[in-house]
Amino acid sequence: MTRVHQIVSGAGPYDAVTAQALAWRDELASLGMTGDVYAGLLDPRVRGTVRPLERIDTADLLVIHHSAHAPGLRRLLGRPERRLLVYHNVTPARFFWRHHPGVAVACALGRAQLPDWVRGCHAVAAVSEFNARELREAGAPEVVVVPPVLVERDGRPASHPAAGSGPLVLCVGRLAPHKRHDLVIETFALYQRGCAPDARLLLAGEPLSAAYRVLVERQVEASGARRAVVAGGLPQAALKGAFEDAAAGGVLLSMSEHEGFCIPLLEAFGHGVPVVARQAGAMGEVGGDAVLWSDPDPAVAAELIDLAVRDRELREELTRRGRARLSGHGWREPMQRAVEAALG
Amino acid sequence: MTAPEEALERARAAAERKRAEGVYPPPREGALDFARPDRELLAEWAVLQGDPQAVYSTRRLGGPITAVKRLLLRALRQYLLDLEARQTRFNVAMLDRLDELERRVEELERRG
Repeated sequence: MTRVHQIVSGAGPYDAVTAQALAWRDELASLGMTGDVYAGLLDPRVRGTVRPLERIDTADLLVIHHSAHAPGLRRLLGRPERRLLVYHNVTPARFFWRHHPGVAVACALGRAQLPDWVRGCHAVAAVSEFNARELREAGAPEVVVVPPVLVERDGRPASHPAAGSGPLVLCVGRLAPHKRHDLVIETFALYQRGCAPDARLLLAGEPLSAAYRVLVERQVEASGARRAVVAGGLPQAALKGAFEDAAAGGVLLSMSEHEGFCIPLLEAFGHGVPVVARQAGAMGEVGGDAVLWSDPDPAVAAELIDLAVRDRELREELTRRGRARLSGHGWREPMQRAVEAALG
Repeated sequence: MTAPEEALERARAAAERKRAEGVYPPPREGALDFARPDRELLAEWAVLQGDPQAVYSTRRLGGPITAVKRLLLRALRQYLLDLEARQTRFNVAMLDRLDELERRVEELERRG
């Protein structure tokens, strides 16, 4: 039996990289490779599912999901196991210096250490071609692109904090500066003022910090927007309910400035929700022709939302294209290829 | 129907029209600033001041845990103030050195 342990820098209940590692664990188990997921920094809410890094035991392969620096991670490079690096991208530190110095330092170090990780691993993989380019720049001769797992949300959809009537503008993603919720809020305020007074906004995502959440709430107040909810991280059933609500007459909106992949795009495609987004990082390769790409200007984004909500045929065409893109999304085969390459 | 490929141009035209009509305000930058911090901001950052509000529990019903954590902070206040002071001393000294180096570089550049 091959033992494969996976390591993430930080694990949390709504963290996309943690979800990826857990999905890999299940898939690897079905291939006869057992192991656990470990984290350098561990949110107490996932203790029991993910283990602290200091308890890691021996394995045949270590899969290191790299998204930021965390204490103790570099020691993995000195261990005897084979190593596979999976690069989820590290957000540039400039987005965080003013809002969370600790995260900024973790990002700055995470980016600076990328060449060391590339040199120290037997195979490297990236979740998008955008990320693969960064790995090649860091010295990787060959990179396997392994798209992220789209985790199915089991069970019935539940009510969400912005439930009601009127088109729902849904924004899913961590409340963090690079996601540009300031532009999302401004876009929504303009859309509500100029197009749909009964529109609703739901911001779903774990906040960077309590202080950052307060900052976003103040931005909502200052914008003059009504019916806007800063919900924080949502349970799976409520998020599923929000996507279904948006599918009935709303949109998914992203004004993010940096994305290593952007899984909510795929989730929107899966639920038949049209997407209005600003093209950033890997989003273009993920969304392709199934997204209404916007300028960074909130007024333009507001008008695109209006088109996507009111023009039924456009809406149908976007959801058709989205489902077509989703059907081409495969991760199992490239994942197996990356693991085999690392095992040698 | 608007084709997806035509949507952006239509949205730009509509946004421009509504701006001209006063429905939308003139374009402006977002509320966040990602520019490199200037000297004044660096001086502000150099002086450490921890935020007790940053210490909290993420667990469900974590209120009592938050209270205990903040109590511990108070108990360790003398030690933490000393740490802050030592790190601030280093930061301020480094900024002074940087200022001096900048002055010297400017002087050398001026001389050609």
